[in-house]
Amino acid sequence: MTALARSEQAVLSRVDATWAGAAGVFLGVLAFWLTLPPLKTTQLAWPAVCAALAIAAGAWALRNERTRLGWGAIVSGALGFGLAVLATQAGRTNLDNAVVWSALIASMLVYATPLTYAAIGGLFSERSGVVNIGLEGMMLIGAFFGIWGADRTGSWVGGLLIAIGAGGLMALVYAFFAIHLRADQIVGGTAVNFLALGITGYLFIDVYGSNGTPNLSDAQSIPDIAISRSGNFFAQAFGDLNLLIWVSFGLLIAAYLFVFRTPWGLRLRSVGEHPRAADTVGISVFKTRYAAVTFSGMLSAMGGAYLSIGFVHSFNQNMTEGRGFIALAALIFGKWRPAGAFGAALLFGFSSALAQRLGTIPNWSTYAVLFQTLPYVLTLIAVAGVIGRSIPPAADGQPYQKQ
Amino acid sequence: MASAPPVLELCGITKRFPGVVANDRVDFDLLPGEVHALLGENGAGKSTLMNVLYGLYHPDEGEIRVKGTRIRLGSPKEAIEHGIGMVHQHFMLIPVMTVAENVVLASEPTSGPFLDYGEAARRVEELSHRFGLAVDPRARVESISVGQQQRVEILKALYRGADILILDEPTAVLTPQEAEELFAVVRSLTEQGKSVIFISHKLHEVLEIADRISVLRRGKLVETRPREGATEAGLARAMVGREVLLRVDKRPATPGEPLLVVEDLVVEDERGLEAVRGVSFEVRAGEIVGIAGVDGNGQTELIDALTGLRHASSGRVVVDGRDVTDATAKQALDAGVGHIPEDRQRRGLVLQFTLAENIALHDYDKAPAARFGWLRPRVLVERARGLLQQFDVRGGGAQSAASALSGGNQQKVVLAREIERDPKVLIAGQPTRGLDVGAIEFVHRRLVEQRDEGRAILLVSLELEEILSLSDRIFVIYEGRFVAEFGPGADEHELGLAMTGGRQETAA
Amino acid sequence: MTETGNEQPQREGGDYAPSVAERLAFYQRAGGVVTPVLTAVIAFLIGGVVVLASGSNPLSTYKAIFNGTGLNWLFPWVTGFDRQLAAINLQQTLLLTTGLILTGLAVAFAFRCGMFNIGGEGQYIVGSIMSVWVASAFVGMNGPLHIVLAIVVAAVAGGLWAGIAGFLKATVGAHEVISTIMLNWIAYWIGSWVFALGGPLQSHANGGSVPVSHDIQPNTHLHVFWGDPLLQGLHVGFFIALAALVTYWITLNRTTLGFSVRAVGFNPEAARYGGIRVARNYFVAMAISGVFAGVAGAVDILGWEFRLNVNDIQASQLGFIAIAVALLGRNTAVGVFFSAILFAGLLNGTSTRHLDPSVFRPDLAGNLTSIIQGLVVLFVGADVLVLWLWNQRKKVRVRRASAAAGAAPSA
Repeated sequence: MTALARSEQAVLSRVDATWAGAAGVFLGVLAFWLTLPPLKTTQLAWPAVCAALAIAAGAWALRNERTRLGWGAIVSGALGFGLAVLATQAGRTNLDNAVVWSALIASMLVYATPLTYAAIGGLFSERSGVVNIGLEGMMLIGAFFGIWGADRTGSWVGGLLIAIGAGGLMALVYAFFAIHLRADQIVGGTAVNFLALGITGYLFIDVYGSNGTPNLSDAQSIPDIAISRSGNFFAQAFGDLNLLIWVSFGLLIAAYLFVFRTPWGLRLRSVGEHPRAADTVGISVFKTRYAAVTFSGMLSAMGGAYLSIGFVHSFNQNMTEGRGFIALAALIFGKWRPAGAFGAALLFGFSSALAQRLGTIPNWSTYAVLFQTLPYVLTLIAVAGVIGRSIPPAADGQPYQKQ
Repeated sequence: MASAPPVLELCGITKRFPGVVANDRVDFDLLPGEVHALLGENGAGKSTLMNVLYGLYHPDEGEIRVKGTRIRLGSPKEAIEHGIGMVHQHFMLIPVMTVAENVVLASEPTSGPFLDYGEAARRVEELSHRFGLAVDPRARVESISVGQQQRVEILKALYRGADILILDEPTAVLTPQEAEELFAVVRSLTEQGKSVIFISHKLHEVLEIADRISVLRRGKLVETRPREGATEAGLARAMVGREVLLRVDKRPATPGEPLLVVEDLVVEDERGLEAVRGVSFEVRAGEIVGIAGVDGNGQTELIDALTGLRHASSGRVVVDGRDVTDATAKQALDAGVGHIPEDRQRRGLVLQFTLAENIALHDYDKAPAARFGWLRPRVLVERARGLLQQFDVRGGGAQSAASALSGGNQQKVVLAREIERDPKVLIAGQPTRGLDVGAIEFVHRRLVEQRDEGRAILLVSLELEEILSLSDRIFVIYEGRFVAEFGPGADEHELGLAMTGGRQETAA
Repeated sequence: MTETGNEQPQREGGDYAPSVAERLAFYQRAGGVVTPVLTAVIAFLIGGVVVLASGSNPLSTYKAIFNGTGLNWLFPWVTGFDRQLAAINLQQTLLLTTGLILTGLAVAFAFRCGMFNIGGEGQYIVGSIMSVWVASAFVGMNGPLHIVLAIVVAAVAGGLWAGIAGFLKATVGAHEVISTIMLNWIAYWIGSWVFALGGPLQSHANGGSVPVSHDIQPNTHLHVFWGDPLLQGLHVGFFIALAALVTYWITLNRTTLGFSVRAVGFNPEAARYGGIRVARNYFVAMAISGVFAGVAGAVDILGWEFRLNVNDIQASQLGFIAIAVALLGRNTAVGVFFSAILFAGLLNGTSTRHLDPSVFRPDLAGNLTSIIQGLVVLFVGADVLVLWLWNQRKKVRVRRASAAAGAAPSA
């Protein structure tokens, strides 16, 4: 009986430690935030207190066997204080220029959206057990065919549909090699990236030549949704976002519901975790994987089309510039879950947004470039398992062979 | 009961694989509400027959009838549709999902487009009440015991409306208590009109649970008889076809110094559970000590800990006076441990390597195999040639890939390598698994020879017969503890009893 | 790494991709020289269809590309001006071959230990950055010593960069594909930063308006032994690449290190049972891979680039093409040599400078190269398909023969 009581107590203190660890992470962020607009504390006392509390909470969580969260809180506290020191050194005007929260949020969403589409696409593919490092290529295909389709049909709807079709087709080719021919999926994905680069570059030059893509009319661009143009915070952050940004929010919810709340989602996950078990109860592993991979290509292409006809309004060779890989990173960083992947996409989008704003400030612009490494460094830390290990679906990357 | 028409008939099933006839005109039928046991040695064709029945293989000849109508089974899905459910030996469960999710997978209750988790749990609970299969539908499969996982497998089949249940070696992974619980479940199933095919090679189980017993031997059905009147001895004869007791010629042991001393060893498995719980023993020069036990009672973890492949949580291992408790694999090998691993293809050999390279696997970086970090291929090949001849390895020379050899010859290569190193202690894990009779004899002879040369030999085997014929002393391992010790000439029956934990009170 | 590194049980619950042994078995699978050659042929055939579709003649296009590679220099009947031109073209092709051999070996060596090094690009960039830094600093240092120093520093940097991925795999089992992809992009942005306007290593020569490194010291230029140094002749770095091929073969097949690397690559379980430290080998093999790529960076800088521009870093594809080189070359020294020449020729033959614009538009041809690369990698991964096609050919022949034999008696 006493043993039971003791073990119950242990469970309780572990639950408390979880909260403490989470609070620690939050306090670390707070330490930095205090020094930013609108508060702009110039005295370091408050950040220091927050950071110290964060580290203490982390240490306590560590003692109660919440290793990852504990270390997370400690790192967050230390990092938060370090950044706070930098921020107080930076000067008020510079901070005001760089950190305009509403604009940062709007810009974060702009940068995060292509990542969200590709990451959610990748989620379907990898949840079905097919590793997809060809997201980059599928995105690039979407970017080119989006603009080509919009140009040919005269409407962004046509452009988007053609992009989705082309991305799906590219993914279908990959699916055939990865699923039917049981080719190594990493090799196949690499091939997709090469092919997409070649095909889009070839067609771009062949169709548009040195003049580049034509200017898009309003009908050919994915429209922005103007809700409000007033000056308040929310209006500036959310008042004038692109249609596809709003759609991505819907996609996130739909993806979550589909994967974790519907029978098809259960079947999809079962194929990615234990294909033979799925097969023995009559689920077609091949069909499921084909559908998932093709869908991942369509979504990635949507992300690419957003880039070309929603955001930049033109196409140039290799315009995705590694965004597909950041999306892959977001997927891994988000532990193969829709909300996690979306959160990671937002984080990476935010770092791009901040980098872009820092770039406008003299003397800071070079560091803005360095800021671009952030998504990759964070993902590297995530796979190293320092803060919460990312574990993929059990059969991810394993070709399935029928008995 | 005998008057009712059979629910299932297999007539003249023949299934050939390249070079083997796995099933040779097998006839088999199943009556409603009966337990029909299918008995046979490993490789007798039981699994092939059941895979035919479950739609995984197409028979080359013969037909399957369910309730009198002839059917064709193209996939497990079709088998399920005909009311045939299978509980696989290796569970087809998804560890990260809940019990309910596993059960309802592919025929889920829905409300609108969504999966109705409440309804799923309710149906699972209802089924588990009806058949006495206690299990929490909301628990994750990875967090429940093996016995409970098996119940989930049975629930899966029942949920899909199975009237015919195939249980493939269901007790292989169970503790005796869990096995008893399983038998209770099986009885409750048959009382409610389900029919069960019970596949096993354990005689006493079959005699306890089956109504009728069929024996398969080398792909052929030898006999089908009711349980009444069947005896273990009779069934064993039918299974094996002859009175085999591979008695190996050997003189009584003349043990010398203790070369392997194990004190109070505790080892954890991958899940952090104690697999070996405080084992102490010693093996002396010139004796073979056998460790008998049902699979999964800590044997693998024990071997791993002795050979430096796994850390012991506590206790001590001493080889020839040297403490190797926390040694790496290399240090253990250097201390004088020779190791014939349980799974030669996965662990004993690098199949793509040549035989010469495989023989050098332990000492490729020492003279004479290497000098100053440089390999000496000619030395490797020369040495290999000698050994291959000495151990009568056929099917390939020193330069051919290990994958080209038959299982028996591969094992000879492993044996040659380990003996060549002149170890003080030789640890053999299931050294004859999957070998033919000739190769088994060869391995046994060599082991006795090595004993007579003064090595300490630890033999871990699941084959009771092998343990009995080779060992000078026998320990029985059960749930990570030694529960009994026997001298030479131990009684098979008593030994078998101890293996199921039945003699815990008189543990040595 | 601790002694306990290799004692870790294999990760539960599956890995991000097939186990190393499966992967290696996949790449070393039989088929000899037939599959790679057939793979390349199929890729070029499809590439020809693409050319045809855009209204050019594939045969004359491929001929022009071939002449652009300068390989026609090998034909004794090419004389006069054509021969001089061919020599210049061939020098360029071999310059590219040098880098591709070295980065190809970086991918191949990791493969032999069962790992997929996608990070050749990052390791190459890190090597380039370090060598350009060393070779532009230390003014007045002895020339040969300076060269050696630049190469060694680049090699170490590449090794350490790849070593991060190896270390993570060895200690916590992080999948090398993910970590090397991440390391590529980190290197890419670090490279873009150090030479960017206001970056720490940017040259201020032109008023600081160009994002480029300092020029390396003239005495660190590698000796040009064939062609005009002012026209990017072939430098002695080519021999470094050839030496690397030999080193690769010897290391793998004649040293104890190579033995353990191969054992781990084929069957990590058995290697562990045999007392080989699997984790250590992952780290070492990855680091050696990085050394090859790092040297590639140094040789390109010292041999013909002489400075590093941010655009060069961002446009470079060398480390990715290296994947195709290693895969097509089946991770053997000889295979890597020939496939490096193939891809270098393709790159060079389709470049604006070397392709006859009257036959095919060079700006298109560059992309044709990417397509062919993609197809090669796609079909290399699907050797099942390629072998199947090959066997169909045999079957057709057999069927024809048997049809002929069957027709005779019945007639």
